[in-house]
Amino acid sequence: MWKNFCSLFKKDCQMMLAGKFFLVTFGSLIIYTLFIHFGYINFMHAELYNVYLFDPLGTQQERSEQIYPITSLEEFYAVLSTDANSVGIDISSGIPDIVFYFGSEKVDHHRADYAWYLLHQDNTYPAQIVGTNTPEQKQRKEMSCELLFIEIVAVGFLGVASVLFKEKQMGVIRVHAVLPFKKGVFIISKIMVFLLSDLIFAALITILNIGLEDAVSILPDVLVHTTILSLIMALMGIGCTVLLKDFRQFSLVYLVIAIFAAAPVFLSANTSVKMEWIDYHPFYHIYIGLKHAYFGMPVTNPIYYVGSACGIAILFLIVQTVFRKEMGKEG
Amino acid sequence: MRGLIYQLKSVWNDKFCILSFFLPIIIAFVLKFVGGIDLSSVAEFHFGVLENDLSAQTISWLERYGSVTAYTTQEELIAAINEPSTYMIGVKADGDSIQTLVSGDELNLFRQTADTLPALYIGKENIGHSTILERPDRMAELQTIFIAMTLIVAMFMGCTFNAVNIIAEKESGVDLVNQILPMAQSGYVMQKIFIGFIGGCLSAVLTACCYFRLPQSSTILMLILIVLSSFIAALIGLFIGKFSENFMVGVVYIKMVMILFIAVPLVSYLLEADGLISVLCYFVPSSAAFEGIMNLANSNKPMIAKDVFLLMVHGIIWFLLYLSISSNRFSTYLDK
Repeated sequence: MWKNFCSLFKKDCQMMLAGKFFLVTFGSLIIYTLFIHFGYINFMHAELYNVYLFDPLGTQQERSEQIYPITSLEEFYAVLSTDANSVGIDISSGIPDIVFYFGSEKVDHHRADYAWYLLHQDNTYPAQIVGTNTPEQKQRKEMSCELLFIEIVAVGFLGVASVLFKEKQMGVIRVHAVLPFKKGVFIISKIMVFLLSDLIFAALITILNIGLEDAVSILPDVLVHTTILSLIMALMGIGCTVLLKDFRQFSLVYLVIAIFAAAPVFLSANTSVKMEWIDYHPFYHIYIGLKHAYFGMPVTNPIYYVGSACGIAILFLIVQTVFRKEMGKEG
Repeated sequence: MRGLIYQLKSVWNDKFCILSFFLPIIIAFVLKFVGGIDLSSVAEFHFGVLENDLSAQTISWLERYGSVTAYTTQEELIAAINEPSTYMIGVKADGDSIQTLVSGDELNLFRQTADTLPALYIGKENIGHSTILERPDRMAELQTIFIAMTLIVAMFMGCTFNAVNIIAEKESGVDLVNQILPMAQSGYVMQKIFIGFIGGCLSAVLTACCYFRLPQSSTILMLILIVLSSFIAALIGLFIGKFSENFMVGVVYIKMVMILFIAVPLVSYLLEADGLISVLCYFVPSSAAFEGIMNLANSNKPMIAKDVFLLMVHGIIWFLLYLSISSNRFSTYLDK
């Protein structure tokens, strides 16, 4: 049994090598790492609103240095129009008037009060820090997590299918029917190759982007969630390959999964927008689990792990059934 | 005409083409539905407080700026502040004033807000007059961008139709038979363009109907944009079909062209590109189409003559280029 598994595993690895699966994954890893190091952390900045002052009479001498003085009314309105999130203070009539473009009701209250505060004082009362990460660490962890999820759900899934469809077209799946192996071993061998590839990818993207020191403590938990996601995607990939006629049909299923499965998860997990039905979305829980793992907050709820194990077991049984059916066509 | 019926039959048998045709229409419906989701909370501040810690007045003061969530214990509050998905600012009572808590990993915007919040609280009584200037609804603008992108994708379906159709013919060997049929190359090209063109047009028109309610004059202009863009997309589909050896290579080409068609006009629009860069963007035909659609959606007096002209130029150049390439290849094949 073990010998059979080893020979199948070796064959699947060769198939992946021939299909350039590892090359694509390695290329993605390099692109993602370059993006995080030279793109994301350099551009991801957001400052509070700029405040501009038009004070031709020079009445405000003790204003904050964070206020930018403007010399003419035309320039004042032009700068507000260009920098639409900014706030203007017009004191041309002698009485301060806070002027700004409409944003949203609550934020506008804050913008007006903030401009008023800067006009009269600029005392700050530093907030107490209760977390352990720096903004850069957070950005690195956040983006590594998102890219790992995209790689497994979208890019990896496409790779899984392209390799397996090649096997299907060559008739390798049907050849399995006449081999004296237990049929489940074929599926286990395939998912193990994809799992191993995903685990190595997860470890590398984490170490390369977060640093070895920080990565060591979070890696075990990250790998647990990667395993869950990878097994689900590999099983879905195998199932789709066997059920669908060709790669063309698959590319549509892929599009549906990429757009409708991943987009709401990202929206709900990265912003304060919460859709009521998102709790029923299995990928949402896995993504949140993965994200929390990156931030050192492991999921302690046993329902998550039991649910994932059951989901994987059910998927495995479905895939095994369709796989047998496919082989049966030949046998 | 007979050849055209065969082409239509071949597309009808290809469920991939039929489903691709409906995809943008489904996205347009989803966007209509997304329009109902309240996205305003994204722009708000989120404050976390402890139960029975702050006065009711302080909480209503905080609610002027954003949403307030109360937690029973300090641990729960700290866990919520440290939650990586949100940028929550913790607020606690501190004598007559307030003390803010942050996780330390947030963007500067939230750190500055937290640092200045106690000062704003102290000066809350001394607020002056405000003048709020009107500006277009940002969410509506965002939705228009999405729908313009969906329309581009719909027009692009003609490209997918043609590329997939030709690759399928190549894989099944029909392409080789076509090359020895007693039919002019230009006739064959016209038939192929027609299939993708009609598919792309129908898909884009139905997508536009799902979303836009335009005045009559703008509807005609939109139709012109759709017709021209679909024609160019159908032509590009022929190019992809011609240069793809098999289906997988074709899918890679389609994805690359699709990303280029979507990314170039979008990035150029969002970054408000001008000068040489904006001229370079017009080399991608979807830039003119996107500009025209946004103009029609946002303006009462649309000015799309430049975009229509650019699309016509693209159409003529791509068409002549394809004819010259295909006649070269055709003669090379006969020489063999």
